[in-house]
Amino acid sequence: MTDFGFSLSKSSVVDIDRTDTALYRRLCELDRTAASCMSCGSCSATCTASSYSGMSLRKVLHGLQRGEDVRPMLRCCMLCGKCTMVCPRGINTRHVLLTIAKIYD
Amino acid sequence: MKDNVVIIGGGIAGMEAAKQLLSLGVKPILVEKAPRLGGHVASWHRLFPDMTLASDIIKRLEKDIAGANIFLETSVENISRKGRSYNLVLSNGITVNAAAVLFATGFSLFDAAKKEEYGYGVYDRVITNADLEAWMNGKKDSRIPASPATVGFVHCVGSRDIKAGNTQCSKVCCTTAIKQAIEIKERFPAAEVYCFYMDLRLFGKKYEDFYIEAQKDFGVHFVRGRVSEVGERIDGSLQVKAEDTLSGRPLRVGVDLLVLMSGMCCNPKAGALASSVKLELDSDGFLRSRDNVYEINRSNLPGVFYAGACTGTKTVPETAAEARAAALEIYNYLKA
Amino acid sequence: MIDRIPSGFNPFVIPFLFGMAFVLGYCLFGAVRILLQLPREDRKKLYLSLITPTTIYKNIRDIFCDCLLHVRLWKRNPVLGYMHSSIAFGWFMLIVLGHVEVLLFVPHRINLFYYPIFFNYFVAEANQTLRGAFMFFLMDLFLLLVMSGIAIAMIKRVRSRIVGMRKTTRHSLINLIGMYSLWAIFPLRLLAECFTAHISGGSFLTIPGNWVFRSILGNDLNLLPTWWAYSIVLCIFMCVLPFSRYMHIPAEMMLIPLRNAGLKVRDSRKGFARVQVMSCPNCGVCLDACPMSVSRADVRDCTVYLMRQMRAGNERRIKEISEKCLLCGKCEAVCQEGVEGPKLRLLERAKTEYRLSPDYSDIYVAAPSGKVLYFSGCMSQLTPSVGRSVESVMRKAGVDFDWMDREGGICCGRPMFTAGRLEEARGMVRRNEELILASGADTLVVSCPICFKMFREEYSLPGVRVVHYLEYFDELIAEGRLTLEKSELCYVYHDPCELGRGSGIYDQPRRLLGRAAAIAEAPKARAESVCCGGSLGSLTLDFARREKMTRASLENLYASHADAIATACPLCLATFGRYSDRPVRDVAEIIDQQTKGNNIEL
Repeated sequence: MTDFGFSLSKSSVVDIDRTDTALYRRLCELDRTAASCMSCGSCSATCTASSYSGMSLRKVLHGLQRGEDVRPMLRCCMLCGKCTMVCPRGINTRHVLLTIAKIYD
Repeated sequence: MKDNVVIIGGGIAGMEAAKQLLSLGVKPILVEKAPRLGGHVASWHRLFPDMTLASDIIKRLEKDIAGANIFLETSVENISRKGRSYNLVLSNGITVNAAAVLFATGFSLFDAAKKEEYGYGVYDRVITNADLEAWMNGKKDSRIPASPATVGFVHCVGSRDIKAGNTQCSKVCCTTAIKQAIEIKERFPAAEVYCFYMDLRLFGKKYEDFYIEAQKDFGVHFVRGRVSEVGERIDGSLQVKAEDTLSGRPLRVGVDLLVLMSGMCCNPKAGALASSVKLELDSDGFLRSRDNVYEINRSNLPGVFYAGACTGTKTVPETAAEARAAALEIYNYLKA
Repeated sequence: MIDRIPSGFNPFVIPFLFGMAFVLGYCLFGAVRILLQLPREDRKKLYLSLITPTTIYKNIRDIFCDCLLHVRLWKRNPVLGYMHSSIAFGWFMLIVLGHVEVLLFVPHRINLFYYPIFFNYFVAEANQTLRGAFMFFLMDLFLLLVMSGIAIAMIKRVRSRIVGMRKTTRHSLINLIGMYSLWAIFPLRLLAECFTAHISGGSFLTIPGNWVFRSILGNDLNLLPTWWAYSIVLCIFMCVLPFSRYMHIPAEMMLIPLRNAGLKVRDSRKGFARVQVMSCPNCGVCLDACPMSVSRADVRDCTVYLMRQMRAGNERRIKEISEKCLLCGKCEAVCQEGVEGPKLRLLERAKTEYRLSPDYSDIYVAAPSGKVLYFSGCMSQLTPSVGRSVESVMRKAGVDFDWMDREGGICCGRPMFTAGRLEEARGMVRRNEELILASGADTLVVSCPICFKMFREEYSLPGVRVVHYLEYFDELIAEGRLTLEKSELCYVYHDPCELGRGSGIYDQPRRLLGRAAAIAEAPKARAESVCCGGSLGSLTLDFARREKMTRASLENLYASHADAIATACPLCLATFGRYSDRPVRDVAEIIDQQTKGNNIEL
């Protein structure tokens, strides 16, 4: 086959209408503090696992709202609790992480 | 004198209110706990957005209120309500019977050492916005290097932070950080300046222009991410950790000086004094106005009025406007 | 003293016999079931301990001291101690003396099970003897003792503060039935014996009682009905016992040998755990001890309620209670029975199923090297003063060491461990073990109590001594490598849960602080220390609830009137720092500041 240098790429649009946010809604039901994230990034900056797996709780919560697969990030979470300490919104991050690990298919 | 008016607090709110009351023919008693008037503003160097010298404003106000009864280094020990008037016991032993009391008790600056992860008081190169202003006012500060190559500004220190006990936005720090960043650039043109912010809240007149100026004319870098922790390197410089939330990656930068933008929080002493006379406090610890839309100056008690940052975080022009309004309210109250 | 009833029987003993048969059958069946639930090796250990003289002695001593005399409760709260021991010991003595009476006076009836209980009904006093009078005197005395305990119990029910308890357990219906029947047993016995005293004889309670009743009533018509009532109440109590908190009476007799055999709880519901659950007397001592009890909404999540929910099998509540606890260990420290509340919760947490599992196998961390390693832990990165001070002190003492996680490392695993994810925690433990063993270190200095407990208990580090910096500094001072100057300030030391109750380190911090400053003690200190509320042990407690606990814990420290608070845990430091009205500092900071500069610079 000749490679013409073209390929069909996935649309980069965030199509909210077609996004499945069931997981995020379920998470917020089980831990209401999860919904109060203001994306400051404190958790990601302080995360012990961030340099190993790109872990960022901010991105995990955002990704769930955008229907993305966040599992690779969660791979190295050590549940150390630093994110709980720094969160300015008082999100119970360890409980959020445990809840995600419980409800993720 | 039957119609005594006591103003508690000699910051710009108290001073401006005293000035207006004098012009209306009422001679107020101004009580200030510090040995000088002017409150927090008096320890500031320049004010945004026009870089007005704070000392000029204070000097002008001092001249305008020369006719008032001013007690310096005096605090109000006790307030009690007696029918339609209030009995105030001052720390200098004087007791005043007042027909009206104006709380101009202002705010407390957040104690940055409470955010241990930023290392204020632990590391040698960490200062606060107030420290920087004092330095610009000529006070020596060994923590500020002679020629810093990089300077960081941390926004929202103790503000919008449930862990610090303050969920409110301190309102002025974003603009103050921009102002101070510009001032740093003016003194150290070679320095790289980074502002770490969560949201930039530049709501006031010309604040946005100020932001553009900082970007375009001074090359200040803005990083969207809250600083989570600060480490110290062997050479004494600091390593700041934040997430660059716009690229979604953890960010590290070494700085020679880190300025913490300590926010405004409620003045606990004013809160205790107010509570003793059954004035209500709001959930953020500030004094509760009767209504946050139209009756900011009024308290839940007749004859007790509020002006300035005692009811919430305020800018200087807002405080001055409130003080004027409060003076007029008091004048009308005394007349009725 | 002669036998009054030739047959030696009256139908009123039937309820008692029924109750007794029921409770004995139930306990026997339960005991066998629990023995079968024990893992084979544990069972072997238990049997072995039952024939070892030292453990036999220990068992007897503990049963006597704990079950009857409540020695530990006496030490904690003399009024409660008196209440419990007067009832338990008094009742025990009534039964023993009953048997003695039968043996002395009607020895041929000793094979009749009920005779010692209803002795007074079945005998008549032919002629007064000194021996008989003495026995009757003892019987009345112990009956009085029991009733005094019951009286305190009644007062406690109405006003628990009188006996020094702020909170008392709220009882279920079955517990109430048990309690009221227990309260009724002894007054009824007294009544019955009073009505019978002109026949059987009696002593200082029963004879005057008999005289009063006979002079008022003028007949003996109440005699038999009262004995019936006494027997029926005994029956009710014994039938309710297995389903009420009074199950702790027989359960404790099993708990003590299990504990003395050195068994560990392996399953949160079966075997040893089951005995612990049954042994909880619902006394409520853990309520006042629990840091969560500052919020009314959280009181129902204390250990006594976990025990109750475990008996009831309420899975939803068991899960809720298990996940909420801070694991501070105070309930266990104050528990008279030795119920391991935190341990049971941990095992309960371990049952939760997760669909995502982490993997730490390919994490790269720079390898440390050196004879002495320092591990500051994740949390210390948020409290930089701790690591800096430890480093500075060690440098001043001339210790050559490597700070293995200065730039961050792998978590010790304890936060994951306390979340009940034991396998996942092992993943981290293995990685850290590899790093430490490869470094060639012989000493690991740890500054975080959470890590410290984990390193000590869950790591296998042959040839490496794990010490907390408090122990290490204490040794450095003893060796003369550090010299401290005393400061003017007065500190109160807060015992962090994992360091004090968790690892038994109480003296070193006080010794160190005592050299560096003046110290004051909080009313609740050492094993009684109140958790700061910041513990990672809780999975569900939210920030607002924790704040209340922190403030309560601070109040305890303020009561010492110290100028400042000292602690040795980064988490306590950060938590107290938020709300404290006076400075909060880590012991390492204070030591660093008070160390003279005469030391070796590296």
